[in-house]
Amino acid sequence: MNGTSGNKTSGSSRELELYFGPQHLGMVGNFSITLKVEGDRILEARANPGFLHRGFEKLMEYRTWIQNFPMVCRINVIESGSMEMIYSMAVESLAQIEVPERAHYVRSIYLELCRVSSHLFGLWAYSNMLGFDTVAQWAMYHRDLILDLLEELTGGRVYNIFIWPGGVRRDFPKGFEDRIVETLHTIGSCVPDYNTAFFDNRIFYERSKGIGRITQQEAKELGATGQTLRATGLKFDIRKVAPYAAYDKVEWDVPVREDGDAYSRILVIRDEMIESVHMIFKLLEAMPQGPVYNRIPNPFKWKIPPGDTYVRCESSRGELGLYLVSDGGERPYRVHFRTPSYTNGLILLEKLLQGASIADVGNIMISLYVVAPEIDR
Amino acid sequence: MIEQLKRELEATFKGVSVTSEADRRITVVVDPLQTIALLRFFKDRGFSHLALLSAVDLIDKHAFELVYILTSYAEDTGEDAVPGELILVVKSMIPRDKPTFKSVINIYPNAEPYEREIHELFGIHFDGHRRLTPLFLERQYPIPPFRKDFDTRRYVEDVFGSIPAIGDEEG
Repeated sequence: MNGTSGNKTSGSSRELELYFGPQHLGMVGNFSITLKVEGDRILEARANPGFLHRGFEKLMEYRTWIQNFPMVCRINVIESGSMEMIYSMAVESLAQIEVPERAHYVRSIYLELCRVSSHLFGLWAYSNMLGFDTVAQWAMYHRDLILDLLEELTGGRVYNIFIWPGGVRRDFPKGFEDRIVETLHTIGSCVPDYNTAFFDNRIFYERSKGIGRITQQEAKELGATGQTLRATGLKFDIRKVAPYAAYDKVEWDVPVREDGDAYSRILVIRDEMIESVHMIFKLLEAMPQGPVYNRIPNPFKWKIPPGDTYVRCESSRGELGLYLVSDGGERPYRVHFRTPSYTNGLILLEKLLQGASIADVGNIMISLYVVAPEIDR
Repeated sequence: MIEQLKRELEATFKGVSVTSEADRRITVVVDPLQTIALLRFFKDRGFSHLALLSAVDLIDKHAFELVYILTSYAEDTGEDAVPGELILVVKSMIPRDKPTFKSVINIYPNAEPYEREIHELFGIHFDGHRRLTPLFLERQYPIPPFRKDFDTRRYVEDVFGSIPAIGDEEG
């Protein structure tokens, strides 16, 4: 056949379409990208979400305010704590429920534990993708230590349903504060090892420096939040900008980096973990005594006054928001989550993959910290 | 800041209603013809971050409500700067039998997937959007599935058959 006649593609005949699907090792779970490549270079990338679309937001319209908790958790599989938090915040805002002082501290400590466990999971994914198997195993082991704490506190390891409208489900068990400190010291004592083996390693530097670089202007234009934005030098963190729980009660800092590449993003994640651990110590010290739960009305007959609200918090991946509408009934009228991976995985990813090499697809994707169920919902 | 913004808005746009809530949230309800101009006004004013674009099916009012949630990146510290904790909710209603609206991609580029999602789940068309292809769903539905008149239970029973109650099954 004559290759030139009747050829409708605009580019050269060396252009290929490559499907980068969920079975690929460099892919973050159930997600795929269609790449248009010429040789090793990506000309265009199209993200295809939908593998995990369960229609939660619609299903939540059929369930009572409290029955929705199991679904809310499953929107972000890696870090369910912030999902419970955002839903509770929205329900509290609509129903005008107050939260006791101690519950704010318990929430913050719990959320920071979840953040550290989520970041360790992210570190596992990134180091594993680069071939640092040892570091990946360490991160997974240390995450497991935090899951043990969460299991003792809530009964669940992954989906906890601990935060509740009006406070938290239970107070810390006896001696739990000491076990938090002990576990965090165990993990913290390995930071020098992590640095030697991974963060200060020349191979990590060479493999991530300059990959998936984005400027602060572009990041803001495309709606980025979280590490992606903080790695470009902007100190934007909802915990500081619009404090909730007990984040305005203790001193802490927002770690930033300047370069906006994968290297900066991973180092921001490391610094955030260290900052979170220090924050937990300070919160434990400042925590007052008192109740942790204000009673809510009977959940089976609970009607919430009509109205709408938008609340936001800083999940481990960026700005997490929830637009919640009530028509005065026993069920939500409309639920819409603003998840950080939505912007990172659908807009930034397509933009950053343009001109990149095929070998860097997983690198860019994991450094953007995309978690697929959060996109699909 | 809130009072000043309110005065400015009422002087510039006709028929806007501005209400402010205790938790630093301002709700602006505006006629759909003015929404684009209003969004541009806010973007120039410092609300540079479109946090969320959502749609609500108000079936009793025969309308869809489009909700734009805007915040700032709080990087300016000048007198005119928008405080980071301020949340602006812009709402406009469009008729349910003619669900078409203008795309805001050229004002807020990150609206692209939001508009695709709303097009797919609510059947609202956005003029000027170049890629209104399916985002999540793999099959066509008789009614866009997030509309209030789409009954998920009935759909499941029609497509997959009804599940007998416990004790009713044979054998």
